Amino acid sequence: MSIQLLALAVAGAVVLAAAGLEAYRSSRARRLVVGATSGPSAEPYILYFTGEGCTVCRTHQEPALAKLGPVRVDKVDAIAERELADRFEVYTLPTTVVMTAEGRALHVNYGYAPAQKLDRQLAEARIGSTLERTATA
Amino acid sequence: MALTTVDHSALKVNQTGIIATVLVAFFGSWALAGNRLLLLLIPLLAVVLLLGTFAPRLALFKQLYFKVLKPAGIVKPRPVQDRPEPHNFAQGLGGVFLAISSVLVFLPVDPRTALITLSLGLAIALLVAVLAFVNLAFGYCLGCQIYFQLGKRGLIKA
Repeated sequence: MSIQLLALAVAGAVVLAAAGLEAYRSSRARRLVVGATSGPSAEPYILYFTGEGCTVCRTHQEPALAKLGPVRVDKVDAIAERELADRFEVYTLPTTVVMTAEGRALHVNYGYAPAQKLDRQLAEARIGSTLERTATA
Repeated sequence: MALTTVDHSALKVNQTGIIATVLVAFFGSWALAGNRLLLLLIPLLAVVLLLGTFAPRLALFKQLYFKVLKPAGIVKPRPVQDRPEPHNFAQGLGGVFLAISSVLVFLPVDPRTALITLSLGLAIALLVAVLAFVNLAFGYCLGCQIYFQLGKRGLIKA
């Protein structure tokens, strides 16, 4: 077999293994985080984990968050607030967590999350919050 | 540490340079039926990346951007409020992996294991090119994420 073909096969296998590992890691982290709590609020809100060294945060995530309109976004420095970052299994930046008004994590996005996706998740959080309030009343 | 202005076009040119060099070395050596001359580009690239990490003035691709491409208007500048450290770290990491790749490609080994070491060396170089491409196309910088993780664990002052 040609050396180059073997090298391509090895590199391809490593890429596939890394992609699989990443998918497993993010789904495991999501499972652990959904339901984690933070402070309650009048409306659903977003915990936005970022850091000084995160370029995608500034070039992609922050413009996407700005498109959301009047939504509370709590910006968290993942390195300075390590305990909070660990509670939400933050292993990559940016990470956005959509919280219900009751302060329960509903959706976790590891990596860049576009405005449309966050909008949809916030809408679900609003419905979820309304249902929880109705059930409590 | 305070943010500064980083020209992301310089980073993109750097990534393009890495991808192009590795691809020329890889497919060139393939086309020339195993001629190792073009594979010398891999250790050369390792040296360029490592030198550029510690002395930015010696970063070949970035200098090509600042001295030629930018003044000629071929590539437009894209200044972003950012920190250069994670990008430098990522570049250094790329240099280290290419150095390992070079050792595997050029180290004189037992002919029975030569196929494995040479393939492994080339695979590492290809992976560096793949990661540079992912950064170029999607803005995902694995080296920067490793920098963040090391900072989070207090292993480097991030």
